[in-house]
Amino acid sequence: MRVVYLLAALSLQGHDMWIEPATFWPAAGQTVAIKLRVGQELLGDPIPRSSRLIREFVVVDGAGRRTVMGREGSDPAGYVRGGEAVIGYWSHPSLVELDAEKFNLYLKEEGLESLLAERARRKQSGMAAREQFSRCAKSLVAGAGDQLLGFQLELLAERNPHALGGSALPLRLLYENRPLAGALVVAMNRRGEKVSARTGKDGRVRLELKGGGMWMVKAVHMVPAGEEWASYWASLTFGLEGK
Amino acid sequence: MILLRLLLAVGIAAGAHEIGTTRVKAVFPADGSYSVEIETDSAALLEKLAARTGRAGTFESYQEALRARMRLAFDGVEVRPSIEFSMLADTGVLIRLIGQRPARATAFTFQFGWVFTTYSLQAGGKTYWLEGSVPSAPLPIVITTPPSRWEIAWQYLALGFTHILPYGLDHMLFVLGIYLLSNKPRSVLLQVTAFTVAHSITLGLSIYGYLSVPPSIVEPMIAVSIAYVAIENLFLTELKPWRVTLVFGFGLLHGMGFAGVLTELGLPRGEFLTALLTFNLGVELGQLLVIALAFGLVGWQFAERAWYRRRVVIPASLLIACAAAFWTVERVAG
Repeated sequence: MRVVYLLAALSLQGHDMWIEPATFWPAAGQTVAIKLRVGQELLGDPIPRSSRLIREFVVVDGAGRRTVMGREGSDPAGYVRGGEAVIGYWSHPSLVELDAEKFNLYLKEEGLESLLAERARRKQSGMAAREQFSRCAKSLVAGAGDQLLGFQLELLAERNPHALGGSALPLRLLYENRPLAGALVVAMNRRGEKVSARTGKDGRVRLELKGGGMWMVKAVHMVPAGEEWASYWASLTFGLEGK
Repeated sequence: MILLRLLLAVGIAAGAHEIGTTRVKAVFPADGSYSVEIETDSAALLEKLAARTGRAGTFESYQEALRARMRLAFDGVEVRPSIEFSMLADTGVLIRLIGQRPARATAFTFQFGWVFTTYSLQAGGKTYWLEGSVPSAPLPIVITTPPSRWEIAWQYLALGFTHILPYGLDHMLFVLGIYLLSNKPRSVLLQVTAFTVAHSITLGLSIYGYLSVPPSIVEPMIAVSIAYVAIENLFLTELKPWRVTLVFGFGLLHGMGFAGVLTELGLPRGEFLTALLTFNLGVELGQLLVIALAFGLVGWQFAERAWYRRRVVIPASLLIACAAAFWTVERVAG
C-alpha cells in the first residue's frame, strides 16, 4: 500500500465528488462496479445510489446512452459492462449552510475569488451562506475518449487522455454548453501531485499529467441564485497506464 | 443498510443530501456508562488514516490518529473513551466508543470528523443528520433500559415466525411440498422432524461461525430443493426412506438460509442464545401453522377422496415446482 501524507491540513469544506470505477481497465464484458465518492485529495467516502439525488446517471458507449443499472441504497452505486465508455453522474442540488468564515475560506480554496468580491459588493462577507450544490461527474473507462454529455457544468477532454504520447491534456470547461473563462481547473492523483491552470477566454486549459494511475480533473463554478448560491462541481476521472 | 434504505425511501430531510454509509448510534444505559457505535466504510477510513499518519496500519494502530478528528463531550467537557473495533460482514467497520459518563450529565456533543458526507446519529429514539466538519448541537441524554430476556425472546420468536409466514413464500412452499406427499401423519411427522433437526443444526453452526456457505450458493440450492420435493410428489405416493434423508439434507440448506437472515437482523450481544433459540422456535411455529392451515383447509376434508391426488396434490405440486424452477433461475442469475 502506497501511503502519502495528505490529510495534514484538511479543510473540511468543499468536498469533491467523483466517479471511481472498480477498474479503469476491465476485460471486455467484465462487470465493472461504479462507485461514487465524495471527499478530498481523492480520499473519499461512498455515496450509495439514491434516486433522490440522481438527475442523470448514464453510460455512453458504442451502443448508445443508457442509465447505469444498480440497486437503490447500494454502494457501489451501479454496474456497467467492460468496454470503452464514458460514465456520467449529474445530481440534483443538495443544500448546505456554511457560516461566513467557512464559506469565505472555501471560496478562496476553490479559486472563486470573484465570488468573494461579489459577496463584499453585496455587503454579505460577514454573513452565513446557503449553497445549493450540484455534481457533474464523468469518468472514462477502458481507454475511452471523452464525449460531451450536456451536464450543466462539464469538463471535456479534447484529446483522449490515454493517448497523449507525453503532451499536455487539452480540456474545455463548459457552463450551460458555453465556454467558461477564468475558472480554476485542477488535476490531482493519489500521490499528492497536483497541477492547475485557469481557463482562457475560450474555456480551454492544458494540463500536463505526469505519471500513471487514477487522475481527477475538477472545476467548480458558482453563481448567485436569489439569496442563495448555486454551485456546480465538475469532475473527470480516468486511469493512465504506468507508474 | 436496511435502515439506510428505509430512511432514503421515506425521505428524511426537506432537501436531498449526499448521505454516505456512515451511521452512529449513541446509547446511555442506566448504569451510568455510554456507548457510541460508529459504523462506517472500513476501506475509506483506513485510506484516510493512512494518509493522515503517513503509514499503513490496522485500525488498532491508528487509535490516536482517529481520536484527533473525533470528539465526544458531556455538558461541554470532553471525555476520552476506550475504543473497540470490529469488522462487519460487508465492507464496514464498527467503532465502539465506551466509558463512564460524568455523573449528572444531561447533554452530549458528538463529532466524527472523518467523513465527508452527511451521516446519521441516532440517540434517544431520534435521528439527527450531521456533517463531519461540524460538531452536533448539545443533544439530550436519554437513558435507555435494555429489553428484558422475555422481550427479546418474544421479538425473535415473532421474527422467526414472520420469516415463514407471511414473508417466506419459498419456505412455505417447501413445507407444503412435504405435506402434500402423503396424508399419513407418519409421513408428515417424520419429514418435518428431519427438516427441523437439520435446519436447527446448520442455523446454530452458521450463527456461531463454524459454517459459512455464501448465499449465492445456498439460495439457489434452496430453490432447487423446493423443486425437487414438489417434482417427487408427482411420482411418489408414500414416504420412502430416501425421501426422509433428502429432506434432512435440504433442511441443512434451509438452516443456512435462516442463518443468513438472522445475521442480517443481528443478534443482541447479551442474549445471543435466547435470540437464536426463539428465532428457531418461531420458524418452527410458522412451519407448523402452514401445515395446520393446509390440513384444515383441504386435507382434513378431502384427503381421502379419490380425486384428492389428481385435483390437489398434482396441480399444487406442479405449481410449487414451477415457482421453485423460476426462483432457481432468478437466484443463479441474480
